[in-house]
Amino acid sequence: MQATQIIHAYRQAPWRVQRQYVGAFLLTVVVLALVAALYLDVTSRTALAGREIQELRAEIAALQRSNADLETELANITSSAVMQRRALELGYRPVQPGELDYVFVPGYVAPEPPILLAAADSPLHQQTLPEEYSQSLLEWLDEWLHSGGGLP
Amino acid sequence: MRQQYAIRSLVVMAGLMFVGVAIIVQILRIQNSEQAKIFLANGDIYAGEFRTFYPERGEIYDRNGHLLAGNRTVYEVGVSLTEMKDVDAMAYVLSVYLNMTQEEIKEKLLNAPETWTYIVVKDYVDAGAVSALQQVLKQLDEAGDNRLNGLGFKPHFTRSYPEKNLASNVLGFVTRDGRGYFGVEEKYNDLLAGNPVQMWVPRDPNKALDIPKVPNGTTLVLTLHRDLQAKVEGILDEALVEYGAKNGAIIVMDPKSGEILAMASTPRMDLNNYTDYFQIFDNGSAYNRSIGMAYEAGSVVKILTMAAALDAGVVTPETTYIDTGSITVGGITIQNWNRQPWGQRNMTECLQHSLNVCLAWVATQMGSPTFYSYMDRFGLGHRTGVDLADEAMGRLKVPGDSDWYPVDLGTNAFGQGVTVTPLQMMMAATAIANDGQMVTPHVLYAMIRDGHQYNVPSQYAGSPIKPETARTLNEMLAVSLQNESASALLPGYRVAGKTGTAQIPTPQGYDPNHTNVSFVGWGPVDDPQFMIYVWLQEPTTSIWSSETAAPVFSRVAEQTVIALNIPPDLVRLQYGSR
Repeated sequence: MQATQIIHAYRQAPWRVQRQYVGAFLLTVVVLALVAALYLDVTSRTALAGREIQELRAEIAALQRSNADLETELANITSSAVMQRRALELGYRPVQPGELDYVFVPGYVAPEPPILLAAADSPLHQQTLPEEYSQSLLEWLDEWLHSGGGLP
Repeated sequence: MRQQYAIRSLVVMAGLMFVGVAIIVQILRIQNSEQAKIFLANGDIYAGEFRTFYPERGEIYDRNGHLLAGNRTVYEVGVSLTEMKDVDAMAYVLSVYLNMTQEEIKEKLLNAPETWTYIVVKDYVDAGAVSALQQVLKQLDEAGDNRLNGLGFKPHFTRSYPEKNLASNVLGFVTRDGRGYFGVEEKYNDLLAGNPVQMWVPRDPNKALDIPKVPNGTTLVLTLHRDLQAKVEGILDEALVEYGAKNGAIIVMDPKSGEILAMASTPRMDLNNYTDYFQIFDNGSAYNRSIGMAYEAGSVVKILTMAAALDAGVVTPETTYIDTGSITVGGITIQNWNRQPWGQRNMTECLQHSLNVCLAWVATQMGSPTFYSYMDRFGLGHRTGVDLADEAMGRLKVPGDSDWYPVDLGTNAFGQGVTVTPLQMMMAATAIANDGQMVTPHVLYAMIRDGHQYNVPSQYAGSPIKPETARTLNEMLAVSLQNESASALLPGYRVAGKTGTAQIPTPQGYDPNHTNVSFVGWGPVDDPQFMIYVWLQEPTTSIWSSETAAPVFSRVAEQTVIALNIPPDLVRLQYGSR
């Protein structure tokens, strides 16, 4: 009986109640700090990814310019006039109709003009990055709550 | 004791709370103050900028993938006035590489409006000059010298034509404002240029995805055959010298599909120096004579008159006509080109000897309604619809027009008093070479957009005559050409065609000394794979088409069969029978 009273008194000791309050407060502070740290982490990662996207875009633009320059340069050095001059320098001469031999190849179909897909710029879709790289934690939380709280 | 301790705690807590609340109140007060609004507005200025994204202009290729029009990088060289340290040093260095005087540069840098923070010193600077300037900047930077601070380079594209003046009359050109003029560049300007996008570009990396991907302009593949085009232009240039002609045009086309394989016209210009246009051309219609300049083509029109008469059943190849050397139509006497009578001739011989009197008689037998109805169906007086800018329409006077007279029926029958462009005449002739079906000439083979190639189908332009009429006339023209103009023939290949020698109308009547010579022909006759039109303006060595335009046709045909791998008839028919 006395032991029970001692335990009861111990549980209800004012310093113990205060410690519980302090503990709860500290726990709240720690949780908030964790959330803040997590938010900061996600935000900084997003900023870094965004910066990387900006740099990659600049790099793509530079590569496209370089590609166009190289293509034009290649066309310059293989232009009709240049090729004709080089051929003559190498000792070639224009063919005459009587010098041509035509060979019959069964099943041969003359090639159609080529498909110049190499000339086309492949489409770069905007939605190539997952939303995690652009969404804030609050936006994610909001979406998660609206989606019923399941696993995203 | 415990109570005192509790009171002190409460006092400390209240104090701390007061401080906290005071801080929050101050934060709210600052955030909602007038100054805060100014700060926010200033912050927005630096948060991003309005920018216009110009897509890369679509390229232009020939049918075999040779680049005819592309893009290359040039730079805008500018100076940030707020960062500029030494005007003299800046002006000196830039004058060395930008081909400008120091005074010019200083004038720009020192006399800029006060509100400007950046000024463009020169645009469209070549990559070589910019590279040299960047090298100087780097060296100064390494030496800790900041005298060129503020110097910047903004890259952008400009049009480049690797083939220089090849096919310049077909391609057209693009000016610095990005607009296409003449030819393909003007006709397909909207497709090639794409759609510029203007938008707010945030500097916030979290909004990087908001920057749109501006799709490039559409790339075009033309029906032109680059090497054949080069050959044809060479032949035309030689012909002008050889025959002393002022100008000329040659077109090579596939008569079945309407694909233009080569289109040469004089003069031409290096498209990279488009500002030369004003020195080279007097007016826009001379830019591409093949489509822009209508003229009286003369006897080549006789093939259309004969086609109409055969199709209407007015004559047959065996119909004979006794040519007395003249015929009166509408009260006016019409004579032959040599002013001589040719006696009894059948219709093939009328074409072979190009007898004006005979063809005028054929037209009178048809009557005006039938004749002009056929000419209308052949497209005379209408644009062909070729996909090139600035096409002329030509003129076909018809009964009812204020300037039409009954004699016009007779003269129009042999190509006088009716104006056509070379391409118009060629399109009409496709009906004869193509079993009665006319095709619309075109230069666009395919478009490439977003990685997909869209081929352009051939366009049917009506059937002015029956297939059997076309086959009959085809044979008549092959026979008449064999007998009339040996210089137009191509050994190994049977070709059909017609010469045309036309006097030139002037305000004082027809010029007795100068002519326009033309030739329209196609081959091989049994399966036409090419059609060629030649026009030489005012040749001086001879006024006759059979001595000028006809041999040019033969030379072009020779190069065409080589470029297109068309075997001689004997070989082709031998293999075809297997």
